[in-house]
Amino acid sequence: MTSTLRKSWPALAAAALGAALLLTASLAPAMSEEEVERRLLALADELRCPTCQAISVKDSEASFSVQIKEKVRRMILEGQSDEEIKAYFVSRYGEWILRAPKKEGLGLVLWILPGLAVLVAGGWIVYTVQFSRKRRDAETAAADEPAPLSEEEQERIARDLKRFEDDDLA
Amino acid sequence: MWGSWKFWLVMAAVGLMVALFTYGFTTDPKLVKSPLVNKPAPAFDVTRLGGGERLRLADLRGQTVVLNFWASWCAACRDEAHILEAAHKRFQREGTPARVIGIAVQDTPAKAMAFAKRFGKTYFLALDNERGDIGLNYGLYGVPETFFIDGEGIIRHKQIGPVTRKVIDEQVRALSAAPGAKP
Repeated sequence: MTSTLRKSWPALAAAALGAALLLTASLAPAMSEEEVERRLLALADELRCPTCQAISVKDSEASFSVQIKEKVRRMILEGQSDEEIKAYFVSRYGEWILRAPKKEGLGLVLWILPGLAVLVAGGWIVYTVQFSRKRRDAETAAADEPAPLSEEEQERIARDLKRFEDDDLA
Repeated sequence: MWGSWKFWLVMAAVGLMVALFTYGFTTDPKLVKSPLVNKPAPAFDVTRLGGGERLRLADLRGQTVVLNFWASWCAACRDEAHILEAAHKRFQREGTPARVIGIAVQDTPAKAMAFAKRFGKTYFLALDNERGDIGLNYGLYGVPETFFIDGEGIIRHKQIGPVTRKVIDEQVRALSAAPGAKP
């Protein structure tokens, strides 16, 4: 009896594993129509219409866009992930089909560049405004101070003062 | 002015803008290189328009395949209709190991048949299914588009828009001479 069990345990284990998998699959909640629709719309929004190009597959009613939406729906129902679905279209159309570049490699540069440009431009504006304000303050301060007297003016004042003093003494 | 770094910064920005605009305005956005070029052609299994003969891409191993996607509603497809038919007859006459295959997309059998009759098409014509599986597998942007597939089943060239005799002759000559092509 023990010997029979020992010989047949791999088959029993395989049967138990199969039963467990079937049970798991049957207990797994089926994707609701709302969930399918939500994923379909999100993916269709990420894909570019091959015919019209300027708009997404989601916003396009061109025949190719309609077929792409139907294909995406079928792939979702087959259990494929969003990444697998996008990978399928990228393998057929190239990265071009994705409306937003991938956040890796050269695509990452495209994501970072606009923000970097705004930061640099903002920094430049702040620097320019502060620099011009300091210069204006310095000019104002300089304008408030009386200009130093020239030698000729100083001599003339000294002469006049001396003359007043001489008049007083007289 | 010439020694000022600000001057050169502005000049660099202007130069960059001019370069970007030049690239943008001189590049046709439709000429995006297909990622399928130099990759195995997606398999297909079709039945001849009007019924009868069944054809799979795998059956054409050893021959150069000129795979043309077209539609009866497509105006540009009329321009290339006689060119493809002439190429088909030329291949047959000269014994060139090449086949012209036409797959109509987003079309109906009746309209596709009427178009084929009107333009005297005698090469193998088939219809993509309603789901457009073949068209999507080949990453079509529109019609006409033509793929040149070598004897090993690898896509070597993709033509967007009407195909010309020059392109057909150049591609078929090159691919028919390549290893894997049946003499």
